[in-house]
Amino acid sequence: MTVNWIGLWTMVRREIQRLWRVPIQAVVAPLISALLFIFIFGFVVGGRISSIGGFRYLEFVLPGVVMMNVVSASFLQATSQIYFQRFQKSIEEILVSPLSYVEMIGGAVSIVILRSVVTALGILVIGALFGAVHLHSLPEFLFWTIFVSMIFGFLGIIVALWAKTFEQLNVLMVFFIQPLSMVGGVFNTVSMLPKWLRWLAYANPLFYFNNGLRHSMIGFSEAPAVIGVSLTLGLAAVLGGIVWRLYAVGYGLRE
Amino acid sequence: MTPALEISHLRKVYRSGTVAVEDVSLTVQPGDFFGFLGPNGAGKSTTIHCITGISNPTSGSIKIFGIDAVADYRNARKLVGLSPQDFNVDQFATGRNIIDWMGGYFGMPKALRRERTAMLIERFDLVPHANKPFRELSGGLKRRVILARALINDPKLLVLDEPTAGVDVELRMDLWRYLSELNRDGTTILLTSHYLEEIERLCRTIAIVAKGKIVRHGPKEDFFTEPGGLERAYLAATGKTADHAAVAAR
Repeated sequence: MTVNWIGLWTMVRREIQRLWRVPIQAVVAPLISALLFIFIFGFVVGGRISSIGGFRYLEFVLPGVVMMNVVSASFLQATSQIYFQRFQKSIEEILVSPLSYVEMIGGAVSIVILRSVVTALGILVIGALFGAVHLHSLPEFLFWTIFVSMIFGFLGIIVALWAKTFEQLNVLMVFFIQPLSMVGGVFNTVSMLPKWLRWLAYANPLFYFNNGLRHSMIGFSEAPAVIGVSLTLGLAAVLGGIVWRLYAVGYGLRE
Repeated sequence: MTPALEISHLRKVYRSGTVAVEDVSLTVQPGDFFGFLGPNGAGKSTTIHCITGISNPTSGSIKIFGIDAVADYRNARKLVGLSPQDFNVDQFATGRNIIDWMGGYFGMPKALRRERTAMLIERFDLVPHANKPFRELSGGLKRRVILARALINDPKLLVLDEPTAGVDVELRMDLWRYLSELNRDGTTILLTSHYLEEIERLCRTIAIVAKGKIVRHGPKEDFFTEPGGLERAYLAATGKTADHAAVAAR
């Protein structure tokens, strides 16, 4: 059966209109947060650090700031989109339509990716104002932005299908994603950590995402690309499979 | 002729263990105006949810114009329009967007969507309200938006779950006229309602469901062979007290 492109585009269109109703939350907040990170870590703290791997501290930190915002934008977009629809029962509009489960998921994840890419580009523009933006490889940059968005989009959908309250939507973000994000090599190299603590960085998936994006921007890497790429593709495939299964059985969607 | 809707031994048990539909089998012929009656909690809405994809049947089969509503759900859903009991929309969106988006989900091209959305907005007297957020509309206007949305894809089977609940007499009469026209033009309609007058006036076939089972089913005329007509037949079929039935018979 052919893909219902009009249906997919309608899902994206509808969600863009919803985001348009909350521009401060959707667009302005991550950019202000990024601006503060760039200012404090790039100038206040960074001014006291000579260089890392031959790069200015701001240049080193910027990819991490982009990745942190990509992660939170994609997770928040997915959770708010799906939970909001469940809460208002407007998800039923999708369920009664002739969209396939893959199309339903594709529509939801497309807007997640779009929001993350827009957020990432916005931060790059801010970074460019501070003269800190390099783009070593655009395809690599897009790979990391898109696939990491997908991973956290899928995770967000799973949480939104499971959650019974607004409070539960934040559990994963507050207790796992944000802490792992902070210690995932955003502000420091692995070699700056004590030797006994380095395993923590290598065991943290977010380290590979930060490392990959950093390589795409400034060409600096601390781990073999094959590990990061395999991990990312593997996680996207596994989480995508779980989301498809949840849609197929109607978990959190159909009574 | 292939039935418009064929439900065979439908059973729905919720995760909590509640049996919402025990065993429902019914056939709706193409072009019929079918009334689906029953008290609150009898299983009417759950049956409708299973037909339209909002609920998963636990067992049994549902065919829409011969197409399996579970195994071949995409093709089956193309033929159905649903006006649910609840206002299941983005409350902050405008009526126009709500109608247009549903057309989009059904894969309708922009020009066709625009044409049908404009026609439905006009038909349901929504012109002055079409660009207002749904949550700011009155109950009657909200109901009109929901009905217009159900018709955007020009469905062959229209499923209406208490479409006139909470609407004024004028809209109800207008809606009855419109539904009769639609049915005359060939749309099969499945209607649930607590207004017996509505069922009596519009439907040609009636089924009564109680405790998740069809307890009576047949042509409308069959319900009027006894004193008390549909009301008495309904109360008797749903096991209501003799007092209720006696009042209905007066």
